[in-house]
This record gives sequence, structure tokens and C-alpha cells, in this order.
Amino acid sequence: MKYSNEQLAQLIEPTRVHRKVYLDPDIFDMEMERIWGSAWIYIGHESQVKTPGEYATATMGNKVPVIMVRDKDSKIHVLHNRCGHKGAKLVDQASGKVSAFRCCYHGWTYRIDGKLVGVPNMPGYEGTGFDKSDPQYSMQKVAQYDSYRGFVFATLDPTAPKLTTWMGAGMAECLDNLCDRSPEGEVEVIGKPMRYVHDCNWKMFTENLNDGMHPMVVHQGVVDAALQYMKTVPEDSAERSEAEIIPPFGASYEHFESTDLFAYQYGHHYDGGRTSIHAAYSVPNDYEQLMIAAYGQKKTREILTFNSHNTMYYPSLTTKTAVQNIRVVRPISVNKTIIESWSFRLKGAPDNMLKRTILYSRLINSSFGMVGPDDLTAYYRMQNGLESNGSDWIEMHRHYGRDEDKGDYIHGLLTGDLDIRTQYKAWKDYMTREQLAQEVA
Amino acid sequence: MTTIISANPSIRDIEQLLYQEASFLDKPDLDRWIELYTEDGTYWMPAREDQEDPEFELSHIYDDHVMMEIRRRNFVHPRAASKDYKIRCSHIISNIQMAELDASTGDCTITSNFHALVNYMGEQRMYGGSYTHRLTKDKDGYKIRHKRVDLINCEEPQKSMIIYL
Ligand code: FES
Ligand SMILES: [Fe+2]
Repeated sequence: MKYSNEQLAQLIEPTRVHRKVYLDPDIFDMEMERIWGSAWIYIGHESQVKTPGEYATATMGNKVPVIMVRDKDSKIHVLHNRCGHKGAKLVDQASGKVSAFRCCYHGWTYRIDGKLVGVPNMPGYEGTGFDKSDPQYSMQKVAQYDSYRGFVFATLDPTAPKLTTWMGAGMAECLDNLCDRSPEGEVEVIGKPMRYVHDCNWKMFTENLNDGMHPMVVHQGVVDAALQYMKTVPEDSAERSEAEIIPPFGASYEHFESTDLFAYQYGHHYDGGRTSIHAAYSVPNDYEQLMIAAYGQKKTREILTFNSHNTMYYPSLTTKTAVQNIRVVRPISVNKTIIESWSFRLKGAPDNMLKRTILYSRLINSSFGMVGPDDLTAYYRMQNGLESNGSDWIEMHRHYGRDEDKGDYIHGLLTGDLDIRTQYKAWKDYMTREQLAQEVA
Repeated sequence: MTTIISANPSIRDIEQLLYQEASFLDKPDLDRWIELYTEDGTYWMPAREDQEDPEFELSHIYDDHVMMEIRRRNFVHPRAASKDYKIRCSHIISNIQMAELDASTGDCTITSNFHALVNYMGEQRMYGGSYTHRLTKDKDGYKIRHKRVDLINCEEPQKSMIIYL
């Protein structure tokens, strides 16, 4: 059973949400249509397809298979991964390189920009009304696609605002910062992604990103373990300084209370700004010198003191600018989500910067890590605990009424629920948009 | 060149060390497991087939002694939710071969295949792949200087796992 717009709107109140948003497969299907079928979804990075014919595949929402490919003029396209004949997926690898797309079934072939060029045994179509040059038989382009600083997004909605409008200046600044940390102003993907199965609804992951009330509880085990270990090694030892990367994961309430949260349109938000748990991380001197040579003193300091720690381009992309890691949300079903982690190299920066990026990602993003599994256990228990009909509602009051509207954005603190309220405001807008609702009816 | 291990006189020692490691991981008893490693020992589980480097590319695990020490304390911490669930494992190691031997020191590289049946969070899982152990010999016998675990599904999505394999 599908929900009317009115019924959907009733699931979201200013300070609480109905548990059905995490549990009901019908709502999940509607989210895939109305949020994931309408928002700009992160597809991949241009550096994954460096030369003409290189491609990388992705899924938009839980179903729509697409291909990001570089054509012979070096332009990047996002095409539906569907043969124009009977619909077979044209490629079924995560990535590869082709001189043309050739369907495995009846051998139709397409130029790398998607145009149909070859149909075997053409005479059989003569006089049938079939026209090979009719664009409907070519690979279809996704409704809109565009990239920002090398990050490629696409939307299935032809009426969606332009990428930069949807992203907004404040969120664009975060991707700028990630790239500007390269002396050449560019980043490139390193290796393949690590993919982590989350046995929970996709929103539990996106709502935890800026949950400043959980680290000291959820990550207490690993923090204590690191502190205990640190007591066993000398004050100034290399062992001790290596272990020091762990305790910030369980920083105090006071610390998170003094971290800013910036909430934007369309559910986007980030924490940090000019202070965050990572602001104290110093950068190596050789790197700093390269930055100063490229940007000058003032601009270098601006770049390096800005840190959008957990940054959400709702609903699909999250980035950490200071450590060049991103995580991509790939919803599978109402209670299953895959999170992809990708790491980036700062072009022109010394290798020790990449080492730091990789170390950081391995610590927090690995399914075999000491951080992620504790978060996941919490999501898993929510997913299961919410099946209880003891109460239908989940509260999100923290700091309600204290957030400051600054025009372009709303300012709050990391310990508040502004991030979650922001996501649900966007959720409600996407889910109850008139135009889409009519299409569905 | 690969030499069949039965041709090497230290075969029993080496097999025993691998089996002993497996039995500590079966329980799991990380306090005793860590003692099998040298002070500069490392444990690496790549995230990509044929991955060559642990530091400049993502891995599922790349632990040195510091991280092993933290992990073994974390493993028994009462306030780590992922450790609320009992974990039991059964490792089978086979196809043990000596890939390299330094005849002057006795240091060697051993390759093997493994299957690990793991029961965790109410489900039974099967992990499998190959091990590469670099062993070093001191006066007390062999220790592990490096272990590489290549899961056959290392590039596939993985679920939470709280123990070394
Ligand atoms: S389905 Fe692709 S050629 Fe027939
Ligand atoms: Fe967390």
C-alpha cells in the first residue's frame, strides 16, 4: 500500500519521526522514487575514468544501473546501463575500458558516448518501421549529469535544479576545501573502494554522521583500550604517538558541544568549520611548504584551518575534507545498505599525506576495524528495537528552538539534532512534492 | 622457487606454529595470540586482489604491534557493543608450503590455504583464502613477523568482524 502525501507528511513532526520511515518497505520504495529518483546522486570521480573508453558503473537508488564513461572527446557521460534492444545490462563490472559497448545478447554495438552504431543482420528490419538512428534505441543518457571539482553527480529528474544550485555555495566550499588541500587543486581516487554491509536502513547511517552524542558512549571501548595501552609505553615513544590517533573518537561532551553544525537546503549539512576533533592535527612541514608555494601564506592557512569534518550531500555522498576520504551511501532494501569508502590522493602533495588518508580511512571505515562495528551494532539494534510497537515515535528534540537561522544556513551545535531535523525537512519536501506525487498516482 | 615443506627439516615446528595461532584465534585468545608475533610484527588483510602495498591503499586490516595491543584490550572491553556477542571460530589450515627459506637464519615464508567458520551475531559465516606467514627464528624458536590474509572475497562488501582471521 502506498501512502498519500498527507499520510507521509504526518510521519514527520518538528521534533519526532514515526518509526515507519525506517521499517516500511513501501516507504523505502517511495524514497527510492522520490528522494533517490530526484536528488543529485554521487556517481563517481572523474579520475576513475582517466582515458576515453574507461568506464565505472554505479546504481542510482537501489535499482537503476548506470555507467559513467569518458568519450573520445574526453567528456564524461552518465548513461543508463541498458541495451537499447531488449534491455540487457551492457557491462556488469565495477570498471573497465572498452572501444565500444557491445551487448552480450544480440550483439548491438554502441559508441562510447552511447550512440547505437551496429545492429547485426539489418535487412531483417527493412520495411518494419524500425529506425536504427532513432535515439530511443541508443543508450539513454541519465536525465541530468554534471561534475563539481571532479566529483560526478547525476539525477534521474529532468526538472531538478542545476547541480551547483542544489549543492549551494556553502556545500560547494567543502568540496573546494577537499581539493584545495592539493597544491595542484586536484585529487585522484586511490585503489578500489572498501564496501561495508550495514544491516540497517540507510537513514541510520546518514543520521549518525553528525551525531555528537554517541562517540563517547559507542567508542568508549576502543578509547579506553588505547588509553590503557598508552600507559604501558613511555611518554615520548613512537608507540604512544601512534596510539594517540584513537582517543579523539571518544572526545568529551564539552568538546562536541563546542563544535559547530551548519545545516543547508536539501538536507545537506556539515560539522566543524574552523574547529573540530581533527583541527589539532598538524600537517607535515614539507607539505605545508608546497602549499605555501602554490597558494601563498594567507590562503594556505585559510585552506588548512577550514575543516568540514563529516559533510553530507544528502542523501548519497559524505566527505571528510581534511583527510580526503568519502563514503557513498548505496541503499539496498529497507533494512540493508552498503557504504562504499573511497580515498583520494592530493595531487602534488608528499606521500606521507596519502599515508595519513589511508590510515584514517582504515581505522574508521573498515568492517574489520575497531570503530565501525560498534556504530553498526547500534544501528542494527535500532533497526530491530523499532519493531517494538511499544511506541511509534523517535524523538529529535535536542537543541530544538536554539538553532540560529543565518539566511543561507542554520547554525547549531554538533550535540544538537539540527542535522536530523534538517534531513527530515528535506525528506518531507522530496516525499510530498506535488509534481512527483501526481506522476506516481 | 617453491619447495615442498616435507623436504625441510623444520616442518613440524612451522606447522605447529600455524596450528597454534589458529587455535588461539578459534577461542579467541588474543592475549596469547599476540605473543606469537615479534615486536615489529604486522598483520595485513588487503582489500584488493594482488594488492602490493598496505600503507598507500585501503586495507581491511593493517595492524602493527601498537594496533594489536589496542585491539586485544578492546576485544575484552565490556563497553564495546560489537563485543557483546559471543564469537566462536574454527580454522582449518591446509596446503602448507614453504615459499622461501633463508638457510643461514632459518627465516622463512610459508603459504597456506585456510577456511574459517565463524559464528557471530546469530549467524554462521564462512571466510576463506590464503595466508602468507613470514617467520623469523630466534633462540626460543619461530615467531611471526608478518601475516598476510588474502580473502577470496576481499573486494566484495563485508560485514562487521571483530576478530583477526
Ligand atoms: S538485448 Fe542487447 S542486443 Fe539484444
Ligand atoms: Fe561512531
